[in-house]
Amino acid sequence: MNRVLNLAAFNIRVLLSDPTWFFLSWALFALQLAVYGSLMSKLVGSNLPNYFFFYSIGLMIIVVFESAEDVGRHFVENAHEGELPYFLTLPISRSGFLVSQAMYGVANTLLKVAPPLLAVLFVSGNLTVPGALFALLALFLLGLGITGIMVSLSFIAFKAVDIYLAVLAGLSALLVRFSTVFYPLAVMPNYYSPISVLSPLTYGADLTRWFLGFDPKYLLNPVLAAVVVTAIAVSTLSLSARIVDKIIEGVKVA
Amino acid sequence: METISLSKRYGKTDALRGLNFTVDEGEIMVILGPNGSGKTTLLMILCTILKPTSGTAKVMGIDVVEEGTKVREVMGIAFQEARGFWRHKPSSILRFHASMFDIDPAKRQELIEGTMKDLELWESRDKKFMHLSGGQAKRLETAKVLVQRPKLAIFDEPTSQVDLRGKRKIWDKIRELRDHGSTVIVATNEVREAEYLADRVTILHQGQLVVRDSIPKLKDAIAGGDVVEVGFEDPVADKLVEELKTLGGALSLSPDGNELRAKVSRAEDWVPKMTSASYNLGAKISSIKITEPSLDDVFLHFTGKALVDQL
Repeated sequence: MNRVLNLAAFNIRVLLSDPTWFFLSWALFALQLAVYGSLMSKLVGSNLPNYFFFYSIGLMIIVVFESAEDVGRHFVENAHEGELPYFLTLPISRSGFLVSQAMYGVANTLLKVAPPLLAVLFVSGNLTVPGALFALLALFLLGLGITGIMVSLSFIAFKAVDIYLAVLAGLSALLVRFSTVFYPLAVMPNYYSPISVLSPLTYGADLTRWFLGFDPKYLLNPVLAAVVVTAIAVSTLSLSARIVDKIIEGVKVA
Repeated sequence: METISLSKRYGKTDALRGLNFTVDEGEIMVILGPNGSGKTTLLMILCTILKPTSGTAKVMGIDVVEEGTKVREVMGIAFQEARGFWRHKPSSILRFHASMFDIDPAKRQELIEGTMKDLELWESRDKKFMHLSGGQAKRLETAKVLVQRPKLAIFDEPTSQVDLRGKRKIWDKIRELRDHGSTVIVATNEVREAEYLADRVTILHQGQLVVRDSIPKLKDAIAGGDVVEVGFEDPVADKLVEELKTLGGALSLSPDGNELRAKVSRAEDWVPKMTSASYNLGAKISSIKITEPSLDDVFLHFTGKALVDQL
């Protein structure tokens, strides 16, 4: 376990060696919220109370999604820049290796999302310690699930990086648009809401909002959301472990 | 280290075809073969990065597929292409590597510093990996294994991109590693590297083992491989040539004025008999030059193709 932690710490140090990306991420979040958040909350008006807060949580879900996407890309970059073969020769199990990657992903996600979350909660007057902690937990579980999906898809990159990037872009567009990231299920048209129920982001977003005290009538059942988010995290991480074990080791080294 | 009927297929290409291969403890085994002969694929399977399509491979008796983590505990590899971290400095990369293999923290810094100095990397200790030259990056790759001192050390073309001076240093450090008890596998297509390092050589060709033995035995296996050029003070007499023919061991004798050129299987056996016969017939020898076959010749002999032409 020490070696897994050692590897995770090494990766996190690499992450922290260039903090510019975090500042840019926070700045982009603030800009998006200030411009689109305030504009859209006026457009939505009284149809959805406190839409600005609803939107800001949705924006955090997008940060989590993009951060998890980063982990998948990082994995693929490791393979193409030759670091993955090196990691695969280190004296840790493949599942230990994935845990270290997941820890890197969690650190990346929390560093990008925790400051904006705390800032939004503070400014909106919704800051409570349990609320913030449980919201972070929900975001963390969602991040693990998306990381698992992204690492699982990385095998595509071993055949063609272009196709992998195209799949990521397409997946990103579908999962974000067809979800409750920006609009609750309750106000969606009938032909649109059944599709949104299929997106893992729907469950992560609604669970986070529920922990932060948003009106439950606009949200999914929190128990169902928690179960789905946890199940997605466990299943996709297990799948990615199999991918590393069965597929990546079976192909020619970059 | 042992492989039994080891095969690896990439799509329709067979990189390894039923390879049976062993390396004895404490020896330097050089795997010689042209590009595409399966050397790197074999090493990637041994270090658990790739899985074989069929067959088994064991390192220190541990199956590389079934117990990969245990294999990685006892094995270290220097890749053909240096694997670094772009924004890290060499010492930081070595420190991380040493920590992953539980090198005693008290001795770690001294070991890293000594290895970097030995491989002339100390001057570059503050450069980031991305700013190292190809040769420096390659030496850093070797340094990882030297710092680790694994039971099985694998080097894939350890001196490609390295200058002549650096090559000699790396070769000496690899021999030192063997002298400290490590079993070493070196894959190369450089004949000089193989001649300098090998306790035994395995020749791979098109994913199959062609031959495996010590270099002297491989050279001796080439009938007429040694060429002996003898200079005489007087023209070579027919009587002497006839006498030398009766000695045996020579595949051809070509007299030309004061010189005689002989192709023999074992020069060390034939030359004393030749000098004795010459003395008995009163032929005075002025010079003897013996040329051994190179590993190029060995490769040509066993595969029917020149190693150099394959590159």
